[in-house]
Amino acid sequence: MRGTLFAATIVALIPLVLVIYYLLHKGLSLWFTSGFFTTDPTGSFFGNPGGIRSAILGSLVIVALATVISIPIGIGVALYLTEYGKQSWFANTVRYFVDVMTGVPSIMFGLFIYIVLVTSRFGGSGYAAWKGAVALALLMLPIVIRSAEVVLLLVPSSLREAALALGAPRWRVVFQVVLPTSLSGLLTGSLLAIARGMGETAPLLFTVATAFGLTFNLNSQMNTMPFLIFTDITSPRAAIQNIAWGTALTLVTIVLIFNLFARLIASRSSA
Amino acid sequence: MEASATTVSGGRSALERSPAGRLPDRVLKWGLSGLAALILILIVYFFIRLVGQSGHVFSTYGLNFVFGNNWDVSRNIYHGGALLFGTIVTSVIALIIGVPVAVASAVFINELCPRRLRSPLSILVDLLAAVPSVVYGLWGVFVLAPRLLPAEKWFASTFSFIPWIGGGVPQLYNYFIAGLILAIMILPIVSAISREVIATVPQADKEAALALGATRWEMIRMAVLPYSRPGITGGAMLGMGRAIGETIAVVLVIGSAPKIGSHLFAQGYTLAAVIANEFGEATGIHTSALFAAGLVLFVLTLIVNVIARWFINRGSHGTRGTGATGMTIASGPASEH
Amino acid sequence: MKPRLIALTATALALALVVAACGSSSKTTNGSGGSSGGSSSGSGTINGAGSTLAAPIYQQWGSTLKGQGLTVNFNPVGSGAGQTSLAAATVDFAGSDPSLKPSDKAKMKGAVLQFPVAAGAITVSYNLTGVKSGLKLDGPTVSKIFQGTIKTWNDPAIKALNPGMSLPATNITVVHRSDSSGTTQGFTTWLSDVDPSWKSSVGEGKDVNWPTGTGGKGNSGVAAVVKQTQGAIGYVEQAYALENGFTYAAIKNSAGSYVLPTIPNTSAAFLGITVPPDLGISTINSPNAGAYPIVSQTFLDAYKDPCKDGGASSGTAAALKKFLTYAFGAGQQTLGAGSSQLPYAPLPSSLADKDNTQLATMVCNGSAIS
Repeated sequence: MRGTLFAATIVALIPLVLVIYYLLHKGLSLWFTSGFFTTDPTGSFFGNPGGIRSAILGSLVIVALATVISIPIGIGVALYLTEYGKQSWFANTVRYFVDVMTGVPSIMFGLFIYIVLVTSRFGGSGYAAWKGAVALALLMLPIVIRSAEVVLLLVPSSLREAALALGAPRWRVVFQVVLPTSLSGLLTGSLLAIARGMGETAPLLFTVATAFGLTFNLNSQMNTMPFLIFTDITSPRAAIQNIAWGTALTLVTIVLIFNLFARLIASRSSA
Repeated sequence: MEASATTVSGGRSALERSPAGRLPDRVLKWGLSGLAALILILIVYFFIRLVGQSGHVFSTYGLNFVFGNNWDVSRNIYHGGALLFGTIVTSVIALIIGVPVAVASAVFINELCPRRLRSPLSILVDLLAAVPSVVYGLWGVFVLAPRLLPAEKWFASTFSFIPWIGGGVPQLYNYFIAGLILAIMILPIVSAISREVIATVPQADKEAALALGATRWEMIRMAVLPYSRPGITGGAMLGMGRAIGETIAVVLVIGSAPKIGSHLFAQGYTLAAVIANEFGEATGIHTSALFAAGLVLFVLTLIVNVIARWFINRGSHGTRGTGATGMTIASGPASEH
Repeated sequence: MKPRLIALTATALALALVVAACGSSSKTTNGSGGSSGGSSSGSGTINGAGSTLAAPIYQQWGSTLKGQGLTVNFNPVGSGAGQTSLAAATVDFAGSDPSLKPSDKAKMKGAVLQFPVAAGAITVSYNLTGVKSGLKLDGPTVSKIFQGTIKTWNDPAIKALNPGMSLPATNITVVHRSDSSGTTQGFTTWLSDVDPSWKSSVGEGKDVNWPTGTGGKGNSGVAAVVKQTQGAIGYVEQAYALENGFTYAAIKNSAGSYVLPTIPNTSAAFLGITVPPDLGISTINSPNAGAYPIVSQTFLDAYKDPCKDGGASSGTAAALKKFLTYAFGAGQQTLGAGSSQLPYAPLPSSLADKDNTQLATMVCNGSAIS
């Protein structure tokens, strides 16, 4: 029996190994191409197809903005649920709705932002990086809220009560006792949400579109790694298809690093 | 209030905070409540816009949109029954393949494997969720689909007596490949939740079984699995919820044929895939139809999620329902829809 | 302490990135996207979306024009999506293979100009061991294959067109597009033209109800399936067929000759067709005797007044005009049969002239663009 279950575990891990192997096989050589990380895609059919710099930086910028939006709001809502709302009908309704949000397909967030922000040309632009960031933030928000709530609940009430008994006002208890105690857990949850955001394609399809050149202008179209993979793989030119694989390897590596980092912090802080 | 040693002017107790001192607390409370309310408003607004955009197609076709079977873009006919069929079929295939493997790995990691291996193995299984779905989709297109085609052909001809499973001519992109990729994607979430749930089985139950002379495996079968069944079922349903909404990986390997496929290895289509393929082009009633497909998806995942939560809450006796499993549900698997 | 440090560092980095992004919006040489805030006339950024057939062209031109200070972002989402984006004014120009129908024009925010830019052949590519070249097919036969009535390669109908060629009994696997596409539109328009039974049972469009076959996403998806499947047949744009070294059939044209999709034969499709006043030409089933019959034209569509209707700034409108001028001028030199040219048919000079005349009518808020 033990053997069967062991085999099942190995079977579960086989796809991971195969996918990573295939990515390395198709994409690793791209990492050693000169200019892969330092130049932007050129779009040129014949000449040098360029690198993926604008995609990497674009992804980082958009996810950074999504993080800045979703993490404070997410932790704030979680704080509300644990400190004030507790089991009130309002808090339970919020929890239910957050659960609903976790189940929404990510493409729907993209479409939502598309009809609310893109077609209305909100902010003077059609497709824009910040709009994609908002779509990603919507995606990341429920993850942050759920994981933060779990972590905040783990803070022993004795700590809170001790602080209150010493005369600290509620807000002090929150900022100087609850948050610092749960910091590593909050960090873990946030890192996992960020890792999720980096790998998403669907929310970006109809909100950010793409650009070749490097730009930091949030109100314009911007290149991103998932989008680059999705479009480059359809190019007739083999060299550009290879770039898609190199980008896929880069993306998976970044996401894996975030994940491992998060789990490292989680296992370090828990007994 | 009587004046006493602990009162100050205004009759407040000296231990009470001054109104000015309470201000930051009030600001914090109302600020955080506002954020929570924001979430509610956002979802409601999302739902309203979704319904608004879908209205056109529902008023034209009514429930035929959901259950009729004729998705013909060039003639502007939108009956999405085949899409719903494809969504459900691929998700069921994902469950049939993914859940046993996930539970088996969870049992192994928690109960049977050497202590030192526990952490690395669980991290590895969770890493399955870190691969972006576009990568899974491409791997499916270039590696899985072509490599499995000969095996599918052998299977279809050997088992041709089983209706729907065998007997057809396997296509390169079909329900099975899509279901298999989905199985890989839901594996981490089902495994993570199963592990959490199995870990909450009381030690006393397990020791009692062993004391009665049960073997390791019998102990698992008699004490661990029955106890964890509700929680594991909940986890499986959450996995199904993810499978239902998965877009990018499926759109690359499903074959995109808006028909009800006649066998397991036939091409099909799903609600999520049709949105990804056709949204950029759509105008008028076509757009409305795609939003309506999204609405159906939304409702489906809602139902599945509610059922899942109920199972999980039922299963975590003693521990706070969403608490123990909340972290893993929310933060663990990062698979994309 | 350590997690706190990490958290602080991460937050600082995130904020720094965001501040950098906001702060540099005025400094970046790319200008702002879409049509907000302009830079000096003739330079800046314009955004387009649409045809995957023409995507390699616009991307190549964008790469060349970058050196002249003009950034062109083209999103290859398909002709229909391009039209929809232009109608929503989320892009400055659209690439569309089919010409604009009156119903399409009605959806736009204002008057739209369409400019023929080039033409690309749609090859009927196949994968059949032993049959490397020389396969001849005509319209009705292709139609029957794609309808599923002709199921094997050694069918009498195919044999009749190819006497002397040994054809195996392999099953035919039809491959078509799973996503909406101008290429599908071109192919099905031709099929409707040459076979009335196709027209009545399936019809034409960017997306049709295929009676049989596997769907691949994008040209490369179709190409991938054809490559991997013995006995497969699919319709693939010339650029993809050439890049992948596909074998394709010679198709019978309107004059009765069997023609291969070479560049000269594709260019021949431009000759002899009628040019309507709005330049909405069609090169499908061209009357020219030497033309390959399945040639798809491709257009660049833009608002006649991009400032008023498309929300563009005057700088963006000037950049758009510069791009279009290049498209009908120096850009045409990049298309052709040469080894360093893109495998598309360039415009005949008469059409390029008409394009330039029409371009001169483009205005910004009523006044001419410099």
